[in-house]
Amino acid sequence: MRAARVIRHSLSMMGRYKLRTAFMMVGSIVGVAALTLVISGGQAAERKTLQTVSRMFGDSAIMIVDGGGHFMGGPRGTGTRLKIDDIDAIATELPGVESWDPQQGLGTGSVRRGDQAVDARVTGESERSEQVWNRRASRGEYFDAAAVKAADRVAVIGETVARKLFPDEDPLGGEIQIGSVPFRVIGVLEAWGTDPHGMDRDDEVIVPITTLMRRVTNVDTIASARLVIRDAKTADRMRPEIRSILRQRHGLAAGEPDDFTIITPDQVQAMVGQIRKVLFLYLPMVAGISLLVGAMVSAILMLVSVHERTGEIGLKRALGAGAGDIGLQFLIETAATTLAGGAIGIALGYAGARAAASHMHLGKVEFLTAVLLGVTASTVVGLLAGLIPAMRAARLHPIDALR
Amino acid sequence: MIELRKIGRTYRRPSGEAVEALCDVSLNIRRGEFLAIAGSSGSGKTTLMNILGLLDSPDEGSYRLDGQDVAGIGTKQQARMRNRRIGFVFQSFHLLPRTSALENVEVPLLYSGRSSIRGLGRKALEAVQLGDRIHHRPSELSGGQQQRVAIARALVNEPDLLLADEPTGNLDRRSALDVMAIFQALNRAGRTIVVVTHDGEIAAHCNRIARMEGGRIVSDEPVAQPKNALEAVQ
Repeated sequence: MRAARVIRHSLSMMGRYKLRTAFMMVGSIVGVAALTLVISGGQAAERKTLQTVSRMFGDSAIMIVDGGGHFMGGPRGTGTRLKIDDIDAIATELPGVESWDPQQGLGTGSVRRGDQAVDARVTGESERSEQVWNRRASRGEYFDAAAVKAADRVAVIGETVARKLFPDEDPLGGEIQIGSVPFRVIGVLEAWGTDPHGMDRDDEVIVPITTLMRRVTNVDTIASARLVIRDAKTADRMRPEIRSILRQRHGLAAGEPDDFTIITPDQVQAMVGQIRKVLFLYLPMVAGISLLVGAMVSAILMLVSVHERTGEIGLKRALGAGAGDIGLQFLIETAATTLAGGAIGIALGYAGARAAASHMHLGKVEFLTAVLLGVTASTVVGLLAGLIPAMRAARLHPIDALR
Repeated sequence: MIELRKIGRTYRRPSGEAVEALCDVSLNIRRGEFLAIAGSSGSGKTTLMNILGLLDSPDEGSYRLDGQDVAGIGTKQQARMRNRRIGFVFQSFHLLPRTSALENVEVPLLYSGRSSIRGLGRKALEAVQLGDRIHHRPSELSGGQQQRVAIARALVNEPDLLLADEPTGNLDRRSALDVMAIFQALNRAGRTIVVVTHDGEIAAHCNRIARMEGGRIVSDEPVAQPKNALEAVQ
């Protein structure tokens, strides 16, 4: 009864000091919004990243990239030594390799049809890319080994390219031009959507690597190759074998650096681990700091409030309020402001995460996570910010406070 | 009702210097008395008032309230006694700003543990002729009206002891007499009232005057013919 009256009184007092109340809320709004945004946004980003990584690398694939240096950061020399024969030799010598696909790209190039032109990523691959990358043609068909061997001018195009160049027509059998070279469209790739970097994976044209190298880029080296191996556990053991084959074939003397890079599933796992660390350790740490700062702002404002309301505290003590009643009043004030601020923070953080996720095509953001986090965070803020001022207010001696 | 025996209270200044605010103060106050504690500032009268009101504790001597030695009771119990048995009126009113007269009067009820407080605040305000001002805020009331709100607040829990520290210090003569008239009426109705004042004119409305100097009571005499505040107003 008494506590209920004190709580009601505290809440109505807060309503009378709207500016002070609003300032105290700001601390928890900012802190909670930051944490909610980072965690729920991070969750969506993680899911999307893992999806993309597993599609690109899989569990049992080794990537060989032209040029030495370090994977993930560090300079990488522009090597121009990696050839199809190198990969062929690896596949022949190492029985663990199930399948492989070389890649050479044009990067983004202009793809035309008549007077229509679009920019799309143009990649040359082997007929095995269908299995190696696990990406099939949803309409028409993929080019076959004969087409690669004969360097046929055929192309498989992504949905986006198909939509742009053949808005109202069936693209199958149609003709497109890459550079000045005409290609016949024989298939449309299954849609992959947009990746976390905002790259439209359907804005793509795949042609036989032989055709691309001979007719478009005019080089005899490849950019990279993906090896699918039979047993993921053997990937790390195959690494030195692949390395020695390539070094030997490239005629590298001892001491000379590699002019290629081998990426194994373990390294991909390490990369995923690093991404996870950023998403779930560093970003939340930053958000946690902003939460802490928010809590401190609220606590300081509350302390100032206790100080300037010394007279009120003394009066209430004289009128019969116990130390507990005073402590309760200030605890309620902080709890109410931080929780209300937290609710606003959750809404802002969630809206922010939704906006960011849709901008970066991350998919959906879990609302429940955002709410649970926000509530926890604002409770933490409330406790941090409320306890010390409440204790200080409760400890004031009535006559000192009345003076 | 109140028995003070050889009360002493010494403060320590931040500099470490000791100040003897009260020394060897003995005082009996019977139920139904209207006592003025008079003296210049620094004479120890406010310290005495704080001790009477259980806001401060003496270093020496004993204080019995209705036969109970208050030295033995805890701060929680003291707060409860302040709430139920003592009403306070201060020189500077001490009303909560931005809060209506009614809500101000109801503050002691928050801590009273009563099961129902409905109507008590309004009744207390009506008793000080402010029944038509219950929703006014302090800033919308005159000084005299504010002090009457404070008196209503002091009375709302129906305590039998009313302690007023320079209750007329911030008021004009007319409002001061209004306040004294209310006190006299309350006293006639049986309430024990102690007023601290440095103003002999105000003290002359009480039934007994205890004068203080340097922390001691130097004289303690009944007033033969107390002035009537109500008549003076009219």
